[in-house]
Amino acid sequence: MTRGGAAPQDLSRRAVLATAAATLAGAGGCVKRTRNVMARDPPEQVTLRILTVPVDANPYPSRIARELASHLQACGVDASVEPMEPEALYRRVLLEHDFDVYVGQFPRSEWRDPDTLYALCHSMFGGEPGWQNPFGYTSMGLDDDLETQRTSSGRERRRAVTDLQAHLAEDQPFTPLAVPDALGTTRTDRFGGWHGNPMQPVVLLGLDRVGDTDTLSVVTTDGRVTGNRNPIAAEFRARGTIIDLLYDPLAREVDGVTKPWSAADWRLDGGDGQPVAEVTLRPDLRWHDGESLTAADVAFTYEFLADTSLGNADSPIPASRYRGRISLVDEVAVADERTVRIAFGDASPVVAMRALTVPILPQHVWRDRTEPATIAGVETNRTMTEALAWNNPRPVGSGPLAFDRGVPGESLRLSRFDDHFLRGDPEGLPDRLVGGPEYGELRLSVAGSDDAAVELVAAGGADATVSPLGAAVVPRIGRESALSLVSDPSRAFYHVGYNTRTAPLSNTRFRRIVARLLDRATLVDDVFDGYARPAASPLAGTPWYEADAFPDEMGLGSSFVRPDGTLDTASSKAAFVEAGYRYDDGRLLVE
Amino acid sequence: MTLVPVLAKVVAVKVVLLSVSALALVGVGRLRTTATELPQRLRNVGVPITVLVVVLLINSVVREPVTEVAWLVGINITPLIYGIEGDFVPWFQSLGTPAFTTLFSYAYVYGYVYVLVFPVVAYAALEDSRPLEELAVAYSVNYVLGLVCYVAFVAYGPRNLLGDSVESLLYTHHPEFQFLTSRVNSNTNVFPSLHTSLSATVIGVAYDTREVYPGWFAIATAVGITIIGATMYLGIHWATDVLAGVVLAGIAVLAGRRYAEG
Repeated sequence: MTRGGAAPQDLSRRAVLATAAATLAGAGGCVKRTRNVMARDPPEQVTLRILTVPVDANPYPSRIARELASHLQACGVDASVEPMEPEALYRRVLLEHDFDVYVGQFPRSEWRDPDTLYALCHSMFGGEPGWQNPFGYTSMGLDDDLETQRTSSGRERRRAVTDLQAHLAEDQPFTPLAVPDALGTTRTDRFGGWHGNPMQPVVLLGLDRVGDTDTLSVVTTDGRVTGNRNPIAAEFRARGTIIDLLYDPLAREVDGVTKPWSAADWRLDGGDGQPVAEVTLRPDLRWHDGESLTAADVAFTYEFLADTSLGNADSPIPASRYRGRISLVDEVAVADERTVRIAFGDASPVVAMRALTVPILPQHVWRDRTEPATIAGVETNRTMTEALAWNNPRPVGSGPLAFDRGVPGESLRLSRFDDHFLRGDPEGLPDRLVGGPEYGELRLSVAGSDDAAVELVAAGGADATVSPLGAAVVPRIGRESALSLVSDPSRAFYHVGYNTRTAPLSNTRFRRIVARLLDRATLVDDVFDGYARPAASPLAGTPWYEADAFPDEMGLGSSFVRPDGTLDTASSKAAFVEAGYRYDDGRLLVE
Repeated sequence: MTLVPVLAKVVAVKVVLLSVSALALVGVGRLRTTATELPQRLRNVGVPITVLVVVLLINSVVREPVTEVAWLVGINITPLIYGIEGDFVPWFQSLGTPAFTTLFSYAYVYGYVYVLVFPVVAYAALEDSRPLEELAVAYSVNYVLGLVCYVAFVAYGPRNLLGDSVESLLYTHHPEFQFLTSRVNSNTNVFPSLHTSLSATVIGVAYDTREVYPGWFAIATAVGITIIGATMYLGIHWATDVLAGVVLAGIAVLAGRRYAEG
């Protein structure tokens, strides 16, 4: 089972033999020959550690990782799977960039615009922490496509987006596998009107109270928010459901349309490719601590997210979330108490509007956290600010729900913020949101696994699950008459991510072969029980996807896995050899 | 919310089991004497009992931070363990039947509490204070060394790595138990198995007192071995964790004996 130990032993044996030979021989010619041999480091077996989360956190990734590891082993790679807590995993992958391969899920489930890929794939983000090109992948061609789709529209944009998908498929900085259905369960005896998935904040805000209780109880299997409520720390956030209830953006997506939220209205001037938006805030907005929310807070937010040191550091230290959207903004100026002028960089108006969906942060709270982060008063990392390290224990936002109290790892309690504009009579929003929410309190409990979460809802301890469930609990939901199954397509695609900074994963040919060791159709059947669709592109399932644009080799039917689920070992090994790799005694070698 | 009924059920079952065993194994006469002499007897074994209480208190306070610290300084040995033992646990689980699952689930939750608590009552009922001292010291050693291992090693059990071949039987059949166990243990604290080490410790001390309580030695062995089997059958622990647990129990019992005799 253990193959890891073989290589070093082999190495030292060679070294000992070589030394012994040299000593015995003594004579000059032999020494020269020994030097010739020693000059070439003996090649070692390729070792890959696949990081993923444990089954309790999400049942799918570890199964994908195990499948990949066993196929890699069949190809002579010393592959193993290491499960880690989501927080620890994303710290390693997103912040430290210290990994070979990971199996994970893109954190955003509600996105359709291809510009979302800008931060994920653009070369200039390769050195930055967060969901910004964690692969360290660089491609001038792809960067061009990403820039073009940002600034163009119509056929030109479409061509750029098709091109960039082809680029990603060719180079495989990451291998998209499947777009899942976000599964959840709700009960309707206390709250009705579940218009969509309970993981979406807008759905939770629009519920109708049908029972007597004033508390909406929801349950999650991801307890990170009970210990850390920092909206800008990528390693602690998944979809950010709770954070989005605490913090309001200028605009929110409601029923598939971007609607003014904290903004009452905006005027967008297309300019000559560099749009400018004049945004007017709703009247009398307040923070949860009672302070007024003004245009100055909005201007501060955009400046702060772009550089959390506010110019104090040698080079900007951006927030590790919202990076793609913030990169659209050039400058924000306060026009008056309730009006800001946002000047965008090169971008089409459609893309530019994405920047309005970042959460607004209170200047009076975050302004004091621009210093380098310290541990016990000692400065340890000058590229990290206090703002990014902060757990934000008592968040001050302007959202419809305010923080009340939390027990790390167990629960969280939010209460309705009665000064919120929804409690008045806001214009431009659907009726179900006006005057809401209809409950005074929201309680979040943390369950140890999907089974425990469903059990809690079935027993009446919660009204809905707010983290995606695995397909294995679907029969359990079916057996309980009080529970309804919620299933809607999510854009949080599962993928295999590679660290392209080190060999052998820096080699595109190598990654392309690894990508073909998994078969998406088999995974969808075996791992997802059909609750997903195969995806060869992160945009699969959107109108932007064009199956024809893919190189034959990297398309959906290009796997080395046979239809019966077994690996065609001979062909995959041959592919490694063709890519310039060598085998010794069945082990794949790296120089 | 769900925690309270589960806890109530566990406590109720435990009280019934304890009362029945106490009457049967310890005897009415001995229990009567104990009731009157208890304060004096507890004074005799004051030091090891106090140490145990302190250890348990510290354990409950640092449990949460220990998991955090382990992610900072500990080594993730999950791949190593799987590399060593391979698919032993999936194989073991594949032998199972629904009846096994029920037996092992109850042994893991109720049997464990019973096996840990009963000897405390039984040994407190003895005039000789040495068995209670031995037990208290051995329990403390288990918790202290266990905690050290949990800081040094991060490991997930088979159910968290092998989602395709190992079912998390306890929690899929009794999801309510997860509310109980997740308060007591983080899912990264699997190496070594404290269920194993404490059960084996009880067996070890029961062996030392087999002349006073021969029936208890038999029961402890049967229930203890079932619990140890359950840790693997339910997909919670690796065989490696169990071996490490047995080694830990050996150290703990030896330490307990030395203290009680010295």
